[in-house]
Amino acid sequence: MRFNEKELMSLSRQPSEMAAELGMRGPKKGDVVKKRLVKLVVNFLFYFRTDEEEPIGALLLEQCRVEKEDSQSFSIAFLDEAERKYLFECDSEEQCGEWVDSIIKASYEFMRKNLIFYRTEIHRLTGKDPLEQYGISDETRFQVNNGQQFTTRDTSSL
Amino acid sequence: MKLHEKLLTHYLSCTSPVDKEGYLYKKKERNATYQRRWFVLKANLLFYQERPGDRHLLGVIVLEGCAVRGSESDGQFAFSLVFEGPGLKTYRFAAGDGPTQESWVKALLSASHCYLSLLVRDLGRQYEEAKQQQGPGESRHSSSVSALKQSTNFFPVQGRTAVVREGRSFSACTVLQAPSTTTKVVAKKSPKLWPRRNAHVTPLNGPAPLYGEWPLVGFDPLEDFSKLHDYYGQEVKKAREEWLRSRRVEEEHSDGHLIDLG
Repeated sequence: MRFNEKELMSLSRQPSEMAAELGMRGPKKGDVVKKRLVKLVVNFLFYFRTDEEEPIGALLLEQCRVEKEDSQSFSIAFLDEAERKYLFECDSEEQCGEWVDSIIKASYEFMRKNLIFYRTEIHRLTGKDPLEQYGISDETRFQVNNGQQFTTRDTSSL
Repeated sequence: MKLHEKLLTHYLSCTSPVDKEGYLYKKKERNATYQRRWFVLKANLLFYQERPGDRHLLGVIVLEGCAVRGSESDGQFAFSLVFEGPGLKTYRFAAGDGPTQESWVKALLSASHCYLSLLVRDLGRQYEEAKQQQGPGESRHSSSVSALKQSTNFFPVQGRTAVVREGRSFSACTVLQAPSTTTKVVAKKSPKLWPRRNAHVTPLNGPAPLYGEWPLVGFDPLEDFSKLHDYYGQEVKKAREEWLRSRRVEEEHSDGHLIDLG
C-alpha cells in the first residue's frame, strides 16, 4: 500500500512534548528490549534509533489498548490481539503514567467522542450548536449519532 | 520508514463509521492524466482503492500538515492537497460535479488531528463557560462566542515555553472560521441531525479533563485564541478568495452569503 512517506517523515520531525528514550520491545516472540527514541505526534507513535533522524517506524494509535504493565512500563496492544503487545520501559512511574495518559488522549476517536460530548452538552446548556459558528455542524464526523448513519462496510477481505 | 499498514487497514475496517467515501479522480503525478479511484476518509487518513469493496487498498494519505486548495488551473471541480515543505507533494483531485467537490473540500478541511484538537479545546472552554453561566440569566449564554473573541487568556501554559510551529502546519487549522462555501448550508438549517435535549451522550472514558490538562501533542497553540484567529484570518481570507475564484461563474449569487472578515 502506498503512503505519503516524506510527508509522514516531516510530521515525525514536528515538535512534541512526548518524546523520550524508552526501552521498546516488539510484539513477536523473541523480540528483545531496545533503546529507542519514542515520539508521539498527533495519533502516531514514531520510534527512532537514538542517533538517527529518520524514524524506523510509525504506529497508528487507534483501536489499541494501552495499559500499565508494572510500575514503570506500559504496553500497547493492537489488532485486538491482547497477547501481542508492544512493551515500553520508562525511567519512572510518573513518566510511565504520562505516556499512558498521552497516548490515550492522542487517539482521534477519543478526541471525537469528547467533541461530541461537548457539543451535546453546550447545546443542552445554551440551546446553541457550537459548531454552527464554524460552519461544520453538518460534517458527518461530528454527528452525535454517527454510528447510525452508515451501512456497515464489508471489509472482511481486507 | 515502516508504516505498520495492518494497523491502518484494521482501523479502516473496524466498526466505527467512515467520515466520507466516494469516487474522485486522482491525478497521476507523471503524465497528468486522471484516474478514477474510490476514496475513503476516516479520521485524518484518506484511503484509496480502485473500487468500493476491493480487497486491495492502493494507498493512504495521512492528512497532517497539508492545506486544501481549489485549483482552477487543473480544470473543473478540481482541488488539491498541498503539503507545504521542501520536497513535499501536492495531490491533485477532481470531482464529478460541484456539490461533490465542495463536500470533499469541506470534509478534508476539518479532517486533520490538529484541527480536531483545536476544536476540542475550544469547545471544552465553551463548555466550562456554559456550565458556569447556567444559573444566572439565559441571555448570558449567547455572549460565550463574543467572549471567545475578547478574552485574552484561554490556554494556560503548563510551565513550559510555547512551541510555535511553522505557519504551514496551521493551514488546515485556519479554517476554524467558516469559509464562504459553507454558509449556504448552515444558514437555513437547524441541527436536525441531532436530537435536542439529549443529555445522555457521554464519551467513552467520561468527560475530558479541563482543557488546561490536555496533553500538548504535536504543537502548543498560542495562548490567545482570538489572536491566533486574527493572525491567520489573513490566510483564511486569501484561501477564501482563491476558492471563490475557482468556483463556477454561475454561482455569483453566493456573494450574498459571504462572511465579511473585515
